[in-house]
Amino acid sequence: MNDRDLDDLLKRAASASPDVDPGLLDRIAHSVETARPVHPLAPAWVLTGGLVAVCVAVAIAGALILGPHGVRKMSTADIVVIFPVVGLLIWLAAALCAAEAVPGSRRPVAPWVLCVCGCLAPALVFGLLFHDYSTERFVHQGLACLTAGLAQAVPAAAGTWWILRRGFAVNSIAAGFAQGALAGLAGLAMLELHCPNFEAPHVIVWHVGVVPVSGALGMLIARFRPARPPA
Amino acid sequence: MDSDSDLTLLMESYQQGDSSAAAALIHRLSAQLYRFFLMQHISRRHADDLLQETWLRIHQVRHTYRPGHPVLPWFYAIARNVRVDHYRKAHRAESREERLEEGFDVAQAAPGGARTGACAPDMDRLLAALPESQRDVILMLKVSGMSLEEVARATASSVGSVKQKAHRAYETLRKGLAAMGVRASKGDLA
Repeated sequence: MNDRDLDDLLKRAASASPDVDPGLLDRIAHSVETARPVHPLAPAWVLTGGLVAVCVAVAIAGALILGPHGVRKMSTADIVVIFPVVGLLIWLAAALCAAEAVPGSRRPVAPWVLCVCGCLAPALVFGLLFHDYSTERFVHQGLACLTAGLAQAVPAAAGTWWILRRGFAVNSIAAGFAQGALAGLAGLAMLELHCPNFEAPHVIVWHVGVVPVSGALGMLIARFRPARPPA
Repeated sequence: MDSDSDLTLLMESYQQGDSSAAAALIHRLSAQLYRFFLMQHISRRHADDLLQETWLRIHQVRHTYRPGHPVLPWFYAIARNVRVDHYRKAHRAESREERLEEGFDVAQAAPGGARTGACAPDMDRLLAALPESQRDVILMLKVSGMSLEEVARATASSVGSVKQKAHRAYETLRKGLAAMGVRASKGDLA
């Protein structure tokens, strides 16, 4: 049996399906009779730009409040490599968030790709740039950074929610993960600006860890509070 | 698809508050959305509910359609979302209910209910055996006549992934048909 035979069988099965009750169609049409004009959502590049701006602003504001000790201690080479990578990931996550908020839109990457890239790319960059492998007060300092990064993710998440509030995520869990990861990347950017601890294990585990933890939290929130169509 | 630009114009008019455009969309697209639900092993009564719920949701989120973009992926993405919610609700209800009769007549709950004129092989049963993602792809591609790109958008996946799912689904359908004794080519199927 070739593909054309199967196509024929499927089409025949579809044509054997009963038609919609005309009364039902009339009832549906009647229910949307009073359709008010609506403004379409902003274009994808506007939403993406807004999300990136919010995350960058939140990261810079957080670093200024806590003190930009990290960026002051960094060499020019560190700055030139680290921040473009983090910026690129923020842009990618923002584009994914904007796509998830519109049904049937093309996604730039799958959420799992964002998760892998969001963890591996910064970890690789930090592994190449930082060569201090000591682990003094690893857990104590690490938990402080993880907490600060996640706390920073909260206003970033609030800002992204506000920008995407008119959107409708058909896959609320993927959208929740993307928004969580984006907020986590804002937290990571703030930590790079603020934290002067350049021990490679500290940066790779605790700074990068903000991204998956924040993504997982976003996913959990979406799991228990799925997106509803805006009223 | 030739009617793509028509649908786009209707959708744009609908966003601008034109209720006749909404009615035209309902009359043009309901049949294929209904078929999409019916061919997923969903009873006719539930398909009616799902169709109604889909249009209600479309109405609520009509502002999320971007003028000029393909219409069908947007509709089908929402229809899939409605169906997933339906499965979740049904699953929750089932877990609360006690099973009274083990000998429940499955034929009563068959998709399409009073479907008539069924073709020789039971395509419903074969489609029901497919994983949901493969079934969606096959129905959108072959029954609704959407392009690979449109199906990729509706299912939030890549064109490559859609092709792979369609290929796997066809392999499974072919095996199922062979097991049912339908090996023939076109002539025998008629």
